[in-house]
Amino acid sequence: MTKVRVLFGFAGAAIAVGLWLALTAPADALQGEYSRIINVHVPTIWVAYLAFFVTSVGSLMWLWRKTPRWDRLASSSVEVGVLFTGISLITGMIWGNAVWGTAWDWGDARLTTTAVMFFVYLGYLALRGAVDDPAVRARRSAILGVVAVIQVPLTYFAVNLFRTLHQTQSLRPDGSTMPDEMITAMLVNVIAFTMLYAALLTARLEVAKAEEAAAVESALAGDAVKPPKLSEVKDV
Amino acid sequence: MVDPLVVLDGVGVSLGGKPVLRDVDLTVTPGETVGISGPNGSGKTTIVRVLATLIKPDQGGAVVLGADLDSSDFYAIRRMIGLIGHVPALIPELSLRENLSHYARLGGIDEDRIDPVLDVVGLDSASDRRASASSFGMKRRVEVAHLLLARPRIVLLDEATSGLDTEARELIDALIDRTTAADGAVVMVSHDAEALASVCSRVLRIGGGRLEPVT
Amino acid sequence: MSFWSQAIEIARVDLAVERRLGDTLRIVTPFAVIALLVFPLALGVRLSVIREIGPAVFWALGILFGMQIALRQSAADSPERRDIYALMGLDPAARFAGRAMSGGVLMVAFLLILFVAMVVLYGPSLPPGSTWVVVVSAVLFAIGLTELATLAGEITAGLSNRNSLASLIVAPLALPLVIGASQALEALVRDVGILPWILLLLATDLALAVAGIGLARPIEEATR
Repeated sequence: MTKVRVLFGFAGAAIAVGLWLALTAPADALQGEYSRIINVHVPTIWVAYLAFFVTSVGSLMWLWRKTPRWDRLASSSVEVGVLFTGISLITGMIWGNAVWGTAWDWGDARLTTTAVMFFVYLGYLALRGAVDDPAVRARRSAILGVVAVIQVPLTYFAVNLFRTLHQTQSLRPDGSTMPDEMITAMLVNVIAFTMLYAALLTARLEVAKAEEAAAVESALAGDAVKPPKLSEVKDV
Repeated sequence: MVDPLVVLDGVGVSLGGKPVLRDVDLTVTPGETVGISGPNGSGKTTIVRVLATLIKPDQGGAVVLGADLDSSDFYAIRRMIGLIGHVPALIPELSLRENLSHYARLGGIDEDRIDPVLDVVGLDSASDRRASASSFGMKRRVEVAHLLLARPRIVLLDEATSGLDTEARELIDALIDRTTAADGAVVMVSHDAEALASVCSRVLRIGGGRLEPVT
Repeated sequence: MSFWSQAIEIARVDLAVERRLGDTLRIVTPFAVIALLVFPLALGVRLSVIREIGPAVFWALGILFGMQIALRQSAADSPERRDIYALMGLDPAARFAGRAMSGGVLMVAFLLILFVAMVVLYGPSLPPGSTWVVVVSAVLFAIGLTELATLAGEITAGLSNRNSLASLIVAPLALPLVIGASQALEALVRDVGILPWILLLLATDLALAVAGIGLARPIEEATR
């Protein structure tokens, strides 16, 4: 069995456990059943932060070592991170619409900075798509990958810097605002989604490696240019 | 007496307010390969563009394939003119084959002929590469393939062999031979007079905006 | 090849190039959505005001970013390619029509995505029937803006500052399109007739089509 399948297997099992805990934990007294969305919304944004942090590490390592595997790691992690950020935004809007009566609150700094973070990394992907040469692409996106990570702490701490509608952190050093069962469910889901991230990242890395190998082979396609058939020119 | 394919009579052209060609006379008959040499900036490309009916002379008369450039008749004969210019005219994001198909469709050429032509020019295995990822020589071969498909009566080559390897140059020579054998004509311009002399039936030199035979 | 066959071939290749480059969907559209995000933050207005200005902001961003789509570099022919097209007998009017068609398709897709984003972010109160009015206005707006930008792109072909110069030409001339599109929705909200505004859009589109097709050859000759 391949590594990727094993990872997806474990992630699937963990998500199943997390889902069960999420559905059996008591609902929030004020928010009702909608509060269970926290078990997707929070883990996905945590994983997005992790993914973009991994990108910044991969970018720094590429700038230092210039080996392709660090570029593959950085770019693959962004793709997964953007996916998880998108899921977090959508679940957040669904939750917000149900609880606050509005899907989007302009006064919510966390929401807005998360959306900005989404677009920052969309820009990273657009930059990669615009450059054909692998070495140039790696260099430019590594620089952006290092700079863009500033958006992660800005997004995380936005809810502390501005008094807004968004919940402050659910888990803080001075104690939690949630019942133990909900915390357990959320933490299990954080672990489960992290395992899912690892599986997706590994799968994406394998695809990236295969794409690079194919590109190297086709780079030898100069051999595919054959001598012209001069005697047939007059008849073609 | 064979009707000439091209007659330039006292042609003058100014570009950007400055005279580039003055009093150019040129007659090209079927079966000829005419070479025009000259230094950079001497007006070689301007002559090519007049012959291609892309520029109208400011003075003098120009008749190409029986169409007077002073009238609107030249639109009808443009398809009988083929041009390979300085810079390859391919769409970078399309593959070499897709570029050729695009030009074939616009030119009303049977697309079934494309594969055999790609085989003849040596690009049948490389035709799926994007133009932006292809070498200059490969792009030139596609341009030759286009002219093999289009079968123009007049072929204009503007520094077409510069920077090419031997195989690609021989391919252009074969294109020239095919065109002249079919009673067409070829006009080649280049700064390399020696290269022209080895291929052309007649070589002229442009100097001071005028054409003179090379002795 | 007939006029429309040539136009469709030009449009087809344009869209194939855009599919590979992805400028419209990967770059311009996200950029426009970011602008939707930035606007209220910069104005610092109340939610009720944001709800009200949503449609107006949509059309304003539609024209500013729509111009970038219509003037995208991938739709600009190099001088060498223009020469080959001329020698192949490509009717410059067919090239104009083809470019307008491909640009129109991209712009309609862009406007619809931008509209959905505006509705989600701004939460405007739109009366029944708004969707159809917006779709019709967006299509007519897109056609007109693309025609105008294609014309401007042709006039400025080969110039080093083509994009900025063409944008400068397009922006003021596109005012009838912005007015027609925004007022059509406004008229629906106020429950007055929308037909005059739709007719304004239609008339502008037709006038631009006639101008683009009629002037295509003189413009081509002038830009050699």
